[in-house]
Amino acid sequence: MVNIDNIRGVAHQKVELASIDDFPGPYCMSFGFDLGPLVRSLEGAGLLNPPLLTGDENGRFTIVAGYRRIKALKQMKVDTATCRIIPVNEIPPAECLLMNLYDNLAVRELNPVEKGMALTRLNCWFSTEEIVDQYMALLGLPPNRATLSSYLRFEEKMEIQAKEAVALGRLSFRNAMLLADLDPVSRSALVDLMSNLKFTISQQAHIIDYVTDLALIEGETIPEVLSDSRVRAIVGDSLMNKPQKGRRLISYLRRRRMPRLSKAEKDFRKVVADLNLDKMVRIEHSPFFESPFYRLEVLFRDGQSLREKLEKLMSEDLEKIGDPWKDNGRGD
Amino acid sequence: MAGGIKKIVVEQGAERFPSTGAILLSVGDVPVSRARGQMQDMVQGTNTDMGKDTLHLLSYAGEFLKPCPGTRNYICCGYLILNVGTNCPLDCSYCILQAYFNLPNLRVHVNLEQEIDRVFEAIDREPEKIFRVGTGEFTDSLALDPVTGWSGIIVERFSMRKNTVLELKTKTANTRALLESTCRDRIIVSWSLNSPFICATEEHGAAALKKRLEAARECRAAGFTLGFHFDPMIPHRDWKDGYRRTVDLLDRYIEPGGIIWISMGSFRFMPALKPIIRRRHRDTCVLDGEFIKGLDGKMRYFKPIRIELYSFLRELLSQWHPDMGLYLCMESHEVWLESMSWSPETTEGLCGYLDQRVRKFFDLCG
Repeated sequence: MVNIDNIRGVAHQKVELASIDDFPGPYCMSFGFDLGPLVRSLEGAGLLNPPLLTGDENGRFTIVAGYRRIKALKQMKVDTATCRIIPVNEIPPAECLLMNLYDNLAVRELNPVEKGMALTRLNCWFSTEEIVDQYMALLGLPPNRATLSSYLRFEEKMEIQAKEAVALGRLSFRNAMLLADLDPVSRSALVDLMSNLKFTISQQAHIIDYVTDLALIEGETIPEVLSDSRVRAIVGDSLMNKPQKGRRLISYLRRRRMPRLSKAEKDFRKVVADLNLDKMVRIEHSPFFESPFYRLEVLFRDGQSLREKLEKLMSEDLEKIGDPWKDNGRGD
Repeated sequence: MAGGIKKIVVEQGAERFPSTGAILLSVGDVPVSRARGQMQDMVQGTNTDMGKDTLHLLSYAGEFLKPCPGTRNYICCGYLILNVGTNCPLDCSYCILQAYFNLPNLRVHVNLEQEIDRVFEAIDREPEKIFRVGTGEFTDSLALDPVTGWSGIIVERFSMRKNTVLELKTKTANTRALLESTCRDRIIVSWSLNSPFICATEEHGAAALKKRLEAARECRAAGFTLGFHFDPMIPHRDWKDGYRRTVDLLDRYIEPGGIIWISMGSFRFMPALKPIIRRRHRDTCVLDGEFIKGLDGKMRYFKPIRIELYSFLRELLSQWHPDMGLYLCMESHEVWLESMSWSPETTEGLCGYLDQRVRKFFDLCG
């Protein structure tokens, strides 16, 4: 646990910002943040809460808490700032880490990248049981080893580009983990795609699934699949917005990955379209045709209109409706 | 298989069972460690070896006889699983156990001998019912037999039950202990078969196809009733030619009259298995097909592909012998009709059909 008395009396001191490390270091867990609001706050009110640092014998400082404040001050080209300095070896590193964790959790929720950073740092000082039992719930994560393992793996394997996509919400953490086993070049190609187009979480999963499958089945690399002329044409089509491009791309990749199912769906749609159904009448197949049953939906205002719609429906060539993959001509 | 065991873990409480001593003796000079309780759960899919070199002896506190975890919307064979252990020393790329259990190691339930009476109590309570029991669902029935002596523990006792058949399903040729036993009544020895390509490239650690068939022939010659399971069927390049070659081999090695049943099933899996297979078996072709999410939430081939697989193999097997006890594993009424030209319609219907096969092959009255 953090002993707050340990830092109550620490000295305030003017510190040259150039002597503070630029990197998050062993205690900080901030990633993918926008410095703008903090810069505006510092410009308006100054540094109200001095960062907490620990120094070494060479006069260099490591941030224990206040990483974003230091970053903002450096961006503002400030040379010095008042900080609280913990003397060397005065407070154990695990306690410094917890100070940072609680300092952050008190004011905001960490994004998934930051949770990975936090767990990776906790993993250096605490047992797996302690992390699972005491800290995962604090981070808003299910307290189990599988989740811990995923976050540690994410932090270890993912490049900055993928982490940024996750921190900015362009790629979900779960989908990012689907990329963890890919080589960095393939991962980068997919992250680029996710960052350039706009996909829902389920679309992201589909894209990753189709592209990795196609690469393996067709003996191509993932970048090769993604540089296919059809893919490039969709991504580069200036007449579509990003969500439209995303849907079109998924549709194309799905047709390529599932040719028989896609053909059956297309053939079925054609049969139904040829029936000249009333706008309020719909005929649909089950998901993937797995159920043997088809579905008829009729919207009507009253019995009279229902009769009219059904009579019109009955006059159509309904025998054409059937399993479109069968060789009986019904689907053609 | 003992050669593949590099470690043994003995869980607290397992030491007092005779099976533990017998297993420790049979494996010889293998390091043994003690575990106080449940081993830490395996983080699913991240542990690449799954403890396949570690024999884990434990006293199992759960039910030893369980219904096959069939899924709704599809017709199940109604098989009962005798839970002798979990996980398997073979390493088939398509194996659902990779995602099914979250505990590592080859887990052997050393209290089987003591608990089996409870199983028979349940069976004896329903003397009119036929129980089809097997050990090949959560592990291979014979892969660990040289070490665990499972067949020695259960075969004789099951053979004495008049309303029960025991099916031992394997991809190995570990039949020595079986052949040394004198029990044949109501014991079925079954082999999982596939195309030569799938056997060679996806069933890592399993016996070669011909070895399996040689072992089957030997068991048949020794008086055992045989079963075969083409499950999972997997369409791959030249799959028709591949399955035809397997049926040709069956014809060469096996006399069909001794076969109680042959099942067919196509590859299906929980979605969580896919990333595990990708991670553990990078060169696999088992994920190449067109999979859709089935009515039970599992991934399975698009329906016409399944129908094509079954229809093709049914035709071959029917040409070989007209009365094979062919059935489909976890398929819909519609797929049955399309590929087999008949359907048991329900799980009860399929159970009835398989029970009839049991009656045809075995004396159930004593």
